Amino acid sequence: MTDTTRQEPSQATAGGPLRAARARRPFSAGQFTARYAIIVVWAAMIAVYAGTEHGLFWSAGTFQTIFSSQEPLVFMTMALMSTILVGEFVDLSVPAVFSFAATILPVLVVNHGWPVWPAALVAIVGAVACGAINAFLVVKLHVNTIVVTLGMSTLLEGISLWMSDMNSVSGMPGSFGKIAIQDALGLPIDFWYGVILVLGFAYLLAFTPLGRHMQFVGASREVSRLSGVRVDRIRFGSFVFAGLLSGVGAVIAAAGIGGYDPTSADSYLLPVFAAVFLGTAIFQPGRFNPLGTFVGIYFLETGILGLQLLGLQAWVSDVFYGGVLVIAVTISTLLHRRSS
Amino acid sequence: MTVPQAERPDSARNGQDRLEVANISKAFGSARVLRGIELRIAPGELHGLVGQNGCGKSTLVKILTGIYTPDPGGAVTVDGRPLALPVRPLDARAAGLSVVHQNLGLVDDRTVWENVRLGRFRAVGPLSRRIDGRAERQAVEEVLGRLGADLDVNEKVGELSAEDRAAVAIARAMQDHKAGGGLIIFDESTRALRKEARERFFELVNGVIGNGASVLLISHNLEEVVAVTDRVTVLRDGTVVETGIPTKETDEPALTRLMLGRHLLTHSRVDSHAKDETVARVRGLAVRSVSDFDLELKKGEIVGLTGLVGSGAVAVAEAIGGARQARAGVLTVNGADIKLAAGRGSTEEFIRAGVAFVAERRLEQGLAGELSVAQNLTLPRVRSRGSRLRIGGGWQAEETAAMIAKLDIRPPEPDKPVGTLSGGNQQKVLLGKWLAGRPDLLVLHEPTQAVDVGARHDIIAAIREAAEGGCAVLISSIDAADLAVLCDRVLVLRDGAVADELTGDLDQDAIIHATFGVSAPAGDEPAPAAPDVTGQQPESTSKGVVR
Repeated sequence: MTDTTRQEPSQATAGGPLRAARARRPFSAGQFTARYAIIVVWAAMIAVYAGTEHGLFWSAGTFQTIFSSQEPLVFMTMALMSTILVGEFVDLSVPAVFSFAATILPVLVVNHGWPVWPAALVAIVGAVACGAINAFLVVKLHVNTIVVTLGMSTLLEGISLWMSDMNSVSGMPGSFGKIAIQDALGLPIDFWYGVILVLGFAYLLAFTPLGRHMQFVGASREVSRLSGVRVDRIRFGSFVFAGLLSGVGAVIAAAGIGGYDPTSADSYLLPVFAAVFLGTAIFQPGRFNPLGTFVGIYFLETGILGLQLLGLQAWVSDVFYGGVLVIAVTISTLLHRRSS
Repeated sequence: MTVPQAERPDSARNGQDRLEVANISKAFGSARVLRGIELRIAPGELHGLVGQNGCGKSTLVKILTGIYTPDPGGAVTVDGRPLALPVRPLDARAAGLSVVHQNLGLVDDRTVWENVRLGRFRAVGPLSRRIDGRAERQAVEEVLGRLGADLDVNEKVGELSAEDRAAVAIARAMQDHKAGGGLIIFDESTRALRKEARERFFELVNGVIGNGASVLLISHNLEEVVAVTDRVTVLRDGTVVETGIPTKETDEPALTRLMLGRHLLTHSRVDSHAKDETVARVRGLAVRSVSDFDLELKKGEIVGLTGLVGSGAVAVAEAIGGARQARAGVLTVNGADIKLAAGRGSTEEFIRAGVAFVAERRLEQGLAGELSVAQNLTLPRVRSRGSRLRIGGGWQAEETAAMIAKLDIRPPEPDKPVGTLSGGNQQKVLLGKWLAGRPDLLVLHEPTQAVDVGARHDIIAAIREAAEGGCAVLISSIDAADLAVLCDRVLVLRDGAVADELTGDLDQDAIIHATFGVSAPAGDEPAPAAPDVTGQQPESTSKGVVR
């Protein structure tokens, strides 16, 4: 049917709109600010610390501390991101699963005399199994995510304490520790694991069919289902993947320390959430994104280390993480609302 | 519409306007959504406001209700008294200005009186803050009495008929009107009402006007606007094209031309593209009230599926499109059998067989509003066209550009979130999402619902083009005008069975008659025709009823 007469010529000729749209988009100061504000704040923070405690803060040691201490957080935030992206907002069990795997490894090696590699494998399998149990309860049985993961979290922490007799376990072979703390380009190698993980995750989301499907499942399950996306499989897989990331991260962490203290699990919960939500204010305002989260982790650590070097006590990290979480979520909510 | 314009006393036209909107503008950043809007509504007038999606109608309503702050320099005056801008809700209420929204804004599991009085509850006394139920009920009964609606104030709104729900919404809007005053804005309120219910709705509206109130009716349904309003104002691209046109002196094609600002786009029936080769076959489908439903679709054939609520027409289309699990039945597309009764996590199997389903509720079933046009358009194919490790940018850009051009999607920006587009453009993205996969069987559910005239034109053209290319099309719709213009044959379902099959030169009256059964509810009069926004009557009016 061609019985139409239009006075306006169609602007959109094949191949044109894409390029036209890109070229037309003006440089927006507002958008730039939204994307990089945290980075600017980060730089300002470093400048202030360097000014007030020269010598102490402005040394290679400080930066090495910042960049070499965050491997557990990187893996845990990516685990949390994996389920948040598909629309499961609050997997509270991430630190507990991490802690569970990080306890299994030294307990088997030190207390039971296992070789390290089989023990590492058992630890990872255990973490994956935890993810699968979460997935089964949430995806298949439709139990509320908060309740399931809160319960799992406490359960696993309890089991970890029982396995370790409520003590920290140490004494793993130093040679195994090399997988985590071997020097590479001036930083321990586990920093680079984190970089690879984050870049890989970002690539997955941006460029692979699986990542695109995950984003749509997070945005709308019904739309995804009617578009041929196997929604439940992706949700299930996300929980299992979260378990895998926690498990692998835990093995690397325990190897680096040479053991693990199972009572430390709780202290990770808030930083994990703070970093993931802070990440929504970086690079892609209002969206959960791996690169933003990565920057968020080091932003938080810089702030805390600086404050501690100023002589403030351990409470400062609670104040900082808690405060940043609230501020970050507020900012990112506002950004999201403005952009849509 | 069969409700005639009420005789309005001429005296009401003298003197002050009920509402005067002067020089109202609104910009969001660099986008100027409204420019110098002028609008006058006389006391006792039923004024229509029409325009394409995105022309600024809803922005104007949001300014009048205080949701948006207009740019400085404008004024809104009610009965000669200027309203402070931005409009404060309590000021608006005091001036008798109220809005009935698209979905009527009712809380289904609450009673009639609670819905009407919501936001106005009075307590028994200064100490007991208990709601004075008796006084509230009396007040609501009084308002309903004024409106001429006989309703039990204690009934839950969710249990009411569509007509009665509309009455509740109107009662809520008019309760603060002073005698001989008030203005109700109906913002697409009739969209939720079926045609039978609209008649009663406009009786009520005429009653409100009879009491001296004014009404601003915002509607996509031009026929309705021409039939019931006194004067009409046309918006285009944020400006008033023409205001206060007496509807007696205009008609739908003329309004359409004003809305579009380009020559009227017309559709008439075209020859069938059906070829003598079966593409899809449905055997023994049982879903909802339907059982033993068989259907054969030929290459290039366009088949309509219609029926009242509960007839099963919708469920049949959803089952064939993969959106709903059936009790029994097999769909054969290009030789591949798909069991319709199997439980599935997704429609993957249907898509692979060449079936595409364009869902009715575009932002709940069709598109993810926060993701971009390009991402939404390409979603069903990211796995099949990409490799496991890379979707590939080239084909996505190409496909998106092709669909933007083909369907004239505006703005033509692939990276814009779909949720920021107008309804008509969202519908185009949804259609493009499936057309880009070159389906062999295209199942559509209400493809032109709540889209403007221009979008409807583009959508109809695209569906025809798909059929011309050999795609079999199944349209489930209650829009008889769409079906009459597009379909080679129309199946009418009643109580779970095919009651009629219309073929040949289709006529929308015939389709409506068949939908309601042999005795049309309007008695001897012809049933109300669906709006003919094409501006041209179907060339043939012969009724091709078979069986």
